[in-house]
Amino acid sequence: MSLFTILISTIFVNNYVFARFLGICPFLGVSKKTDTAFGMGVAVTFVITLSSIITYFIQKGILDTLKLGYLQTIVFILVIATLVQFVEMVMKKTSPTLYNALGVYLPLITTNCVVLGVAILNIQEEYTLIQTIVNSIGASIGFTLALVLMAGVREQLDLADVPEALDGFPIALIASGLMSIAFLGFNGLV
Amino acid sequence: MKLSETFNNGLIKENPIFVQLVGMCSTLAVTTSAKNGLAMGLAVTGVLVGSNLVISLIRNVIPDKIRIPSFIVVIATFVTMIEMFMKAYAPALYSALGLFIPLIVVNCIIFARAESFASKNKPIPAIVDGLGMGLGYTVALIILASIRELLGAGTLFEHQIMGAGYQPVLIAIMPPGAFIILGILIGIFNKVRMNNEEKKAAQEEKATVEA
Amino acid sequence: MNETLKLGLILLLITAVSAFILAASNNATSAKIEEADKIANDEARKETLPDAKDFEPIDKEKLDSIQSSNEGVLEIFEGKDESGEIVGYTLKNLVGGFGGDIQVMTGISVEGKITGMKILSHSETPGLGAKAEEPEFQERFKGIPTENDLVIVKESPSNNNEVEAITSATITSNAVADGVNLAREIYNSQLSK
Repeated sequence: MSLFTILISTIFVNNYVFARFLGICPFLGVSKKTDTAFGMGVAVTFVITLSSIITYFIQKGILDTLKLGYLQTIVFILVIATLVQFVEMVMKKTSPTLYNALGVYLPLITTNCVVLGVAILNIQEEYTLIQTIVNSIGASIGFTLALVLMAGVREQLDLADVPEALDGFPIALIASGLMSIAFLGFNGLV
Repeated sequence: MKLSETFNNGLIKENPIFVQLVGMCSTLAVTTSAKNGLAMGLAVTGVLVGSNLVISLIRNVIPDKIRIPSFIVVIATFVTMIEMFMKAYAPALYSALGLFIPLIVVNCIIFARAESFASKNKPIPAIVDGLGMGLGYTVALIILASIRELLGAGTLFEHQIMGAGYQPVLIAIMPPGAFIILGILIGIFNKVRMNNEEKKAAQEEKATVEA
Repeated sequence: MNETLKLGLILLLITAVSAFILAASNNATSAKIEEADKIANDEARKETLPDAKDFEPIDKEKLDSIQSSNEGVLEIFEGKDESGEIVGYTLKNLVGGFGGDIQVMTGISVEGKITGMKILSHSETPGLGAKAEEPEFQERFKGIPTENDLVIVKESPSNNNEVEAITSATITSNAVADGVNLAREIYNSQLSK
């Protein structure tokens, strides 16, 4: 697959949130305001790209050569958890402004399944390093897009008169469903 | 808390999906057929019971500071074991659930139970809590999956239910259907709960008036 | 520092124990996993080429040369009957469908007829393109001669190289036909004698 196809496919056609259901928890949890949604998106982009590159080298360099493929899940999740901690520390020291903006989202990222999902998919699809990077960036842009769009909708929803039983989470799910229908329109693009 | 209470707590009162609203990713993704929902639910239950037990056993040995990485390792170990056994004995099911088996590691339910229950309780209650929560999750998954399969394919556990002339509502098994049907289900669950609470409140009021 | 060392050691111990457990369960299951894999693949091959009893991958050099000029060919097996005679080939090809890649396995007999088609993996729309997986659609490919290009048509087929499309899933049908056509071309140019 060409790099461009991968990019378009992960952002629109196989959007990780709407078509693959990865990262639903933060998607519904942090999508109440547009600016926090954007902040989360940026933090996730950073972690996904970095962790995909690292896990790629670990898989090729260590797990494959030593035939330890079965340790994949455990190693990847530890790498991600460590990386998130590390990024948090570095950010705190070197760029307090960035830390203040993104810091609160960082601990949430460890349990964001997009990060682990993308890392595993990159290996499963047998992507090269370049394809891995492109796929990670596409996945993050797709995630951010979904998050920001949803936040826009939910800001409006706050003003709407929703039946009490549907208020909050259920109506957000239904709205996501409608948005997912819109994304179905991208099907067949690649 | 009594064991039966702990169990019921997970199954109904604190149902992971309908009440706590956690573990949404796999819930939405694998519920295209009742069979997949059941399999995923059982896999999660297995991991939950195992990790709850081990974490409860080692809860006094693990220093607080490295609690989180230790839990992650325990959970990931169980997930990988389930993955191996599914690959070996139920390969078709494994390929249907695919990526979402390793992703049980980051399923918030498991971590939440480890942190809030297993690390503070004795092994037996921890197992019961794992069973209750796991079955609560499984039941919710089966309900959602059955509705989607019935509407979207006219079948239930792969048995034809709707007549031959039934035109399947395709959207139900496509991604949007997952979101919308789950939203409506949680709405119904909320409504029932609200009605019950109202009734209870009314009864209590009546009782106080009579007294 | 002592504290950090202690914490590190405990964590190391936990990780070591879990690695040990996993290695043990890997030992216990790996043979079974390989067997399950082989059974699944063999079953697919048998379904597409029912006359064969035994399957072997074709010559590595030949496969390499075919793969270098044909993108999307994943594997080619030759099927043999009891006496060891080659009765046909199964080809696993990758083609682009509507929702992503589709893996198509095609069986072709030495008489130059398609003996079967099977979808191994896909991400097509449930209820529409995903119907390609159903036996009903796969049956439509059986018995078609390999001489001419296979064509997808929307009505009932009138020629023996035509296959009726899946309703409302023409792109998927065409993609599957692409996979079968690729197999057919490779058979015609490289495998038939």
